[in-house]
Amino acid sequence: MQEEEIIAGLRARDREATEYLYEKYSRALFAVISRIISDQTIAEEVFHDSFVKITRKIDQYDETKGRLYTWMANICRNAAIDKLRSKEISQTSKTNTIDDFVFGIESQSGTMEQVEGIGVRELVNQLNADQKFIIEYIYFKGYTHSEISEEFDIPLGTVKSRIRAALQVLKKNSERI
Amino acid sequence: MNVQKYIESGKLELFLLGELTEREREEVIAMAKTHPEIQQELEVLEEAMFAFDNLTGKAPSPQVKDAIFTSLEGDFHREENSPQTEKRGGEAKVVKLSPWRPFAIAASLVALMAIATAVYYAGKFYEVDEKFSALLLDQQVMADNLNQVKMQFEEADSKLDRLVAGDFRRVEMSGEALPMQKDAKVDVFWDQSAQEVFVAVNNLNSLGDEYDYQLWAIGKDGPIGIGLVNAEEKLTWQQMQAVAEAGAFAITIEPKGGSESPTLDKLVVLGEIA
Repeated sequence: MQEEEIIAGLRARDREATEYLYEKYSRALFAVISRIISDQTIAEEVFHDSFVKITRKIDQYDETKGRLYTWMANICRNAAIDKLRSKEISQTSKTNTIDDFVFGIESQSGTMEQVEGIGVRELVNQLNADQKFIIEYIYFKGYTHSEISEEFDIPLGTVKSRIRAALQVLKKNSERI
Repeated sequence: MNVQKYIESGKLELFLLGELTEREREEVIAMAKTHPEIQQELEVLEEAMFAFDNLTGKAPSPQVKDAIFTSLEGDFHREENSPQTEKRGGEAKVVKLSPWRPFAIAASLVALMAIATAVYYAGKFYEVDEKFSALLLDQQVMADNLNQVKMQFEEADSKLDRLVAGDFRRVEMSGEALPMQKDAKVDVFWDQSAQEVFVAVNNLNSLGDEYDYQLWAIGKDGPIGIGLVNAEEKLTWQQMQAVAEAGAFAITIEPKGGSESPTLDKLVVLGEIA
């Protein structure tokens, strides 16, 4: 199914399109959330709410303003950050680090990914210290670029160029993933 | 605008991360429309982000999927049944009226908003009005207080004038030697030439409603009652009646209003003029 077909299907409240959307994107979208929220139950709760929101607000999605995945990932990311900052979770949340996460992934998901492409660890190892730091704070701790700049006293321009550099590494490897 | 520079600015990444302001988003969208390189970079980056997310993620548990599709069940059904019947039945009749409907809806919305605004401001008005009345009342009370204080001050000032101008002798009366109130202490200030007498209560027990303290000037002709002393007004000057001649002052407890002659067994304080 092409992206346009999925969107049209969702707008028509078509069950098949929704199922397809789930199969194709649930893993990635759930990753966006569970990177930020380590508690599995809460992460799944946020994912449930986000996915329902995505299908119900599909009419608000505007193709001219960005692609579907970006829109959905931002909904999930924002929901996760909101949850993370709400009182109910802040006491129990542990500090996520990229290494914890990689370790968790490897131990949970077995070897499938490594067979198909490069493994997460290999990918992470391609990042230098600065890039790893950026990925950790943006992706795993839910920081915005201006928060990183403020908290760690790094000029905004430097934060931006490090984000770019880190994503370039991901981009270079994405064909191999 | 240098396209390559724009791509390298990091803005596209922030766009995908949802971290740009509305104005900056518009700018990126406009740039992507006019420069295919930018559009392509956006797509490749999004693809990379998706691939990274997909790689690092594990699937949510099957229960979550079930819960989601249970939540959405109602949405799917509504689509299949209701809209079609609505379309078929409604069309012919609605066409004629349709030009009015948007206006009617818009008008009622405007009216509703106006009403809501009016109610809101009426509420605000009453709130402010109440506060204003309370302030007015406060102000009145304060003005009254000020007047009272002013009168008290003038009275004190005139007493002070007399005190400074006069030739006052201080006669200390005490209850130490008497059985009634050992710790009673009252001072008499007497200007013999002006024949003026003031008392200042230092310590006197309170009396019931049926009794008064009465001040006596004891001269050659015996005690003369020269006024009632208010025990509650401590350490301020109370003016008494004029006295030209006295050898001692005393206070007794008398029935309310005072007596012609002192009840000596209720002598509270006594002070002789040195």
